[in-house]
Order: sequence, then structure tokens, then C-alpha cells
Amino acid sequence: MQTLGSTPSRLLGSLLLASALFGTGCGPKAVRGENVAGLDDQAMGTGLDRRDLERMLHENMQALQSAAVIKRWEGENRPAVAVLPLRNETSEHIDSSLDALISDIETTLVNAGHVRVISLEQQPALMQQAKQQNSQGFDARNATQLGKQIGARYIVTGKVFNNDERQDGERRVQYFMFIQVLEVETADILFQNKTTVTKAIL
Amino acid sequence: MAESQIGQHGGSERSQGAPSQLSFVASLAVRLALRFAFTLFFLTCVGCADHASRMAKVRTALDASQPKQALVALNSALDVDKAAELPKDLGGEKSLLVLDRAMVLQQLKDYGLSSRDLEIADKQIQTMDFSRNALDDIGKYAFSDDTGPYKAPAYEKLLINTINMQNYLLQGDLNGGRIEARRLAVMQKYLSQSADPAQALLGPGSYFAGFIFEKSGKPDEALRYYDEALSYASYPSLEQPILQLSTQSGYRSPRLRQALEEAGKDAASVEAPEASQASESAELLVILNYGRVPPKIARRVPIGLALTYASGALSPTDQGKANALAAQGLVTWVNYPELGAAHGQYDTPEVTLDGQTLPTEQLAAIDFEVRRAWDRVKGAVVASAITRMIARVVVGEGIRRTSSDKNLLALLLSFGAQAALTAADTPDTRSWSTLPARMSVARLRLAPGKHVISMLVRGRRETRTIVVAPGGWVAVGVTALN
Repeated sequence: MQTLGSTPSRLLGSLLLASALFGTGCGPKAVRGENVAGLDDQAMGTGLDRRDLERMLHENMQALQSAAVIKRWEGENRPAVAVLPLRNETSEHIDSSLDALISDIETTLVNAGHVRVISLEQQPALMQQAKQQNSQGFDARNATQLGKQIGARYIVTGKVFNNDERQDGERRVQYFMFIQVLEVETADILFQNKTTVTKAIL
Repeated sequence: MAESQIGQHGGSERSQGAPSQLSFVASLAVRLALRFAFTLFFLTCVGCADHASRMAKVRTALDASQPKQALVALNSALDVDKAAELPKDLGGEKSLLVLDRAMVLQQLKDYGLSSRDLEIADKQIQTMDFSRNALDDIGKYAFSDDTGPYKAPAYEKLLINTINMQNYLLQGDLNGGRIEARRLAVMQKYLSQSADPAQALLGPGSYFAGFIFEKSGKPDEALRYYDEALSYASYPSLEQPILQLSTQSGYRSPRLRQALEEAGKDAASVEAPEASQASESAELLVILNYGRVPPKIARRVPIGLALTYASGALSPTDQGKANALAAQGLVTWVNYPELGAAHGQYDTPEVTLDGQTLPTEQLAAIDFEVRRAWDRVKGAVVASAITRMIARVVVGEGIRRTSSDKNLLALLLSFGAQAALTAADTPDTRSWSTLPARMSVARLRLAPGKHVISMLVRGRRETRTIVVAPGGWVAVGVTALN
């Protein structure tokens, strides 16, 4: 039912307020992150931003550094490892953000010094094949097959899921990132860790 | 003068001796403020065309089968030079124009940019859904129905993801398609909980989502989506895929069981049809979008007719006020948005594969759904227009009373206010008017290798050569928005 509840004076006030807003609006301007305090702190949507990715990756890599697989690598004199693209099983188009993580994971592994990293970035055809496999649906056998092609003994990969819910005026997306280490020869999972991030529009 | 007089008076003197001067100052301030407000509002709104008028050039170009011209017109409306660019500001109706551009880009087979536009608009429309504030409501209430952010109806939200699933299928990208399918599921769930479930245009979206998950090797999800699609309509082309998937998944529902029984098979003992060939043979999906949904147009109707449309959606108080104003001759016409006339029947598209005709199946008559959704809200929309009309008269009355006497200036201000608000009242004709009126598919298992496919849609024939790998699939499509 439509009702007419406002008094004339309220309407007049609304008119003035609306007019003032029409008149005083200012356009957007470009800024540098370093010049605006807290610019990276503010969430701009329900996707994953740099801060979320850094946090999730940091937690996962910390867990990896204290995992049993590191001792195994130390005993194998720097075995070859390849990092494959993380699968996006979410309701957000975050593939480019996840691709950015590949280099971050490689950097962490290289700097830790336990393994030799074979970068797929230097082999675009194989990278495309890896993404194509993810697109068709993940199969550990395909992943380890790809690892063999690359010449890696282990592969590091992962997946991101989400729980996406919406109510009147609100949307909450809970992300779960799993990072895995698989042995190419056996397809055994030698390490797996989960981190979570929640984003919302309230 | 007024300021110096106020400055000379003390507290008690002011309260006793200056009421007439204060009243004069207050009255003057109100008059000046109102003049400023209305002048500003006149300048902002008078002469502004509604969305439907601004889209006229785009519709004309599409009707003439000139999608490139339509794209130029849309880029111009978005203040960008080319389709690769996005407008600096996606507020107002810009996100709606981006949705329109996405459809034109799909017709031009630029599926990548079409996807990008749909994804940007999807998020913006969601944000606008959440951001409607009190000021917007006041604006909508007092000024114009198209004040404030665009609130997309349920079917438009679902079709954003549906159209984008098509884009990803046509690019052979199952990963992108799955993301859109999940987004569709979130929206479907939300709509089923918070709005009229009948508004959820389930059929086509669930059909494409099922196909995407079937080809992704996820039979459970595929069956779940196909089940949802069947809740909208019975699609004969799903019979074989459901039979095939039922051998890989235990997911069942009463609808799926019925579908399996109707196919003459027992769900439990069903053997995959041509199971051995299924892994070797390929599959073709043809996606056909054609026609265009009717746009909203601005209408002007006598108050009596408007009250008839709005009966049931208008409060008795407002109904009484409107009747009283009409009886006094103060209001005779009401502006409101109306859904334009639909095209009517469309010729069935023709699809041939290597010279053999393929049957096509209509997934949805979107123009009918748009009409149905509009009919549900029309009464409330007209009621809103009547409420605004009453508000205008009330504002005029308020100004007249705010002025100390019933002098000529007060009357002029009163008429001026009403005239300003009337001029600013543009009916909300915003809608995603480049949506196709009909969505059809043709689906066929075929031998791997090279094939020639020909599609005739809305008088436009396209012929393409496809190469399909064993066990693979390919999607081709035509969008004809004339």
C-alpha cells in the first residue's frame, strides 16, 4: 500500500537537501595508494583483493614450512617442484587473482631453499594445458601427468571454494583456500592446509 | 536590513517585539531557498529525457540489423570511445547501458567483452540493490520515479548470469560458466526466500548450468540443475542427457524419476543409451537468442483510469485525496511507465547440420515473462505515480501556508513548486530492453570431426564450420536482436 506520511515541511526540507546534493557532488579522482592512508584496507567488494590473498597465502605457506614434507624435501637434495594454477570453485571471477598467487608461491619456495622450482610461466603451452584441465574439472591424475611432463617430482596446487549467501541488503561470501602438495609419482597428497577469509556487503 | 534589525534586539525584546520581523525573515529565507532549490531542480531535470527516449537510437539500429551502429550509440551514451572502455562512473542508468551493450556485443560475437560488461553490471546492480537510501526514497516519492539507483526486477538479475553462461559456453570456457552458474544459484536461492518464487526465471539458466556441469564431469550438480530446469518446463532435449547422467549419479527427485520413467526406463536399472559411443561421440549445442523484449515507455493517462489501475495498491487515504483533487479539477492526468507492446509471434529459427534439419527447442519466451512480471507490479507503479502527484499538490499547499499571507507571491511560488515537480517527474522507463524475446537451443550428439552448421534466425543466415574432438563438445550461437 502506498501511503503519504510526510508533512509539507519535511518535503520542503527534502527538496532543499536533494538540491544541495545535486549541486555539491564532486567527481572521482585518481590517487596513489601510498598517498592515501588505509586505501588498501578498505574492501571494495566481495572478491579477493591483495590483502586477502597475502593473508591466505602467508598462513598456508607458514603451515607448509612446518610440515613433514619439508623434512622429506631436505632429505632429497632440492627436488624439482612445479606450482600449478589454483582451481576457482567459487562464485566470483577471481581467476586472475589466483594466477597472481602462482608467482607468490614460487617466490616463497625459492627463497626457502628446500626445492628447485620449475616455473610454468616460461612454458605457456603447459600453463594453458593446466588451466584447461582445471576448466574441464580437476583430476589429480591429470595434474600429476602434467607434473611428469614438466619434469617435476612434486607439484604444489590448490583450490578455493566459497559459501555465498545473500539476504535483504546483505551479501556474505566465505572463502576457503586449500593448498596441497602432491607427489607426481603416486598422486599422494603430502600436505594440505586450509585458510579462510570472509567478505561481505552489509 | 533584516540582519541589523535582529542585531539590535535583546532576548526578551526579541521574543515579544519581533515576531513579525522574524516571520518576515523566515519567510524570505524559505522563499529564497525554494527559488534556489527549484531553479536548480529545473536545470537538472527539465528537458532530461527518460531512459526509453535515450535508447530509441539503439533500438532503431537493432531493428535495422545494424548492431555496430547500436554499439556506437551505446558507447556515446556511456561517454566512451570504444567497447573496450568502461565509463568512469557506473551510477545512475550507466550500469543498465552496460547491460545493453553486453547484449549488442554478444550479437557481434565479442563474447569476451560481453562477459566483462555483464560481470561489471552484475556487481553494480547488486550494490545498487543494497544502497537505496532514504534520500532516494524521498526523491522517488516527491520528484520522480526514476530518481535513485536502478532496482532490477528478478528476471533481469537471473538473466545476467544466464546470458553470461552462454558467453562462456560460446568461448568453450567451462570454468567461467561454472562461476556464473554458482552466481545464478545464489540469486535463485535468494529470490526463492525473499521474493515471489514465480519471478524466478529458472528454465534457461538452469538448462545452461546443467550443461556446463555435465561437460565439467560433475553429474550430481548437472542433474540438480536439469531438475530445476524441468520445474520450469519440460524440455525433451534433456531426456537423453538425464538418462546418461543417471548412470553416473544417484541424485534423484520426483521430477527426475518421472522424466526417467517417461523415457521408458527404470531409474535404478537404466543402462546408458549408447553408453559405449557416449565417450567417443561429440555433442553440439546451438544457442539462439532472438527478438527483443518490449521496452518501457512513458504513458499519460486520465486520473480516473490511473485510479482504476492502482486500485488495491493505493491506501484508502490516498485514494480519497486523489479523488478529491480530481473532483476539484486540480489533477487531470498522471504520468507513469508502461510496458510497450510485444512483437508477438516469431518465426521458428532453422538449424541445419551438414544439410540435415535439426529440431530447435524454445527454452523461454522472455517477452511473456517480462509482461507477466510487469502485470504483477503495474498497480503499485501507478499508485506510486498517483502518490507523487498528491505530494506535488501538498508541496504547493505547504509553500502557500509557509508564506505569511495569501498574497500573490505565495500563490505564484505554490504554482511554481508544483510546476517544477511536475516537470521533474519522468516516469521510470529504465529496463534491460535489449534482452532477447526468445531463447532457443538445438542439441545433438554427433560424430567427431568436421561439420557445417547453418542457422537462420530473424531473416539472418549464418553458416559455420566446426571441428569436434571425440568425446568433446562445441557450442555455437546466433543472437539477432531485431
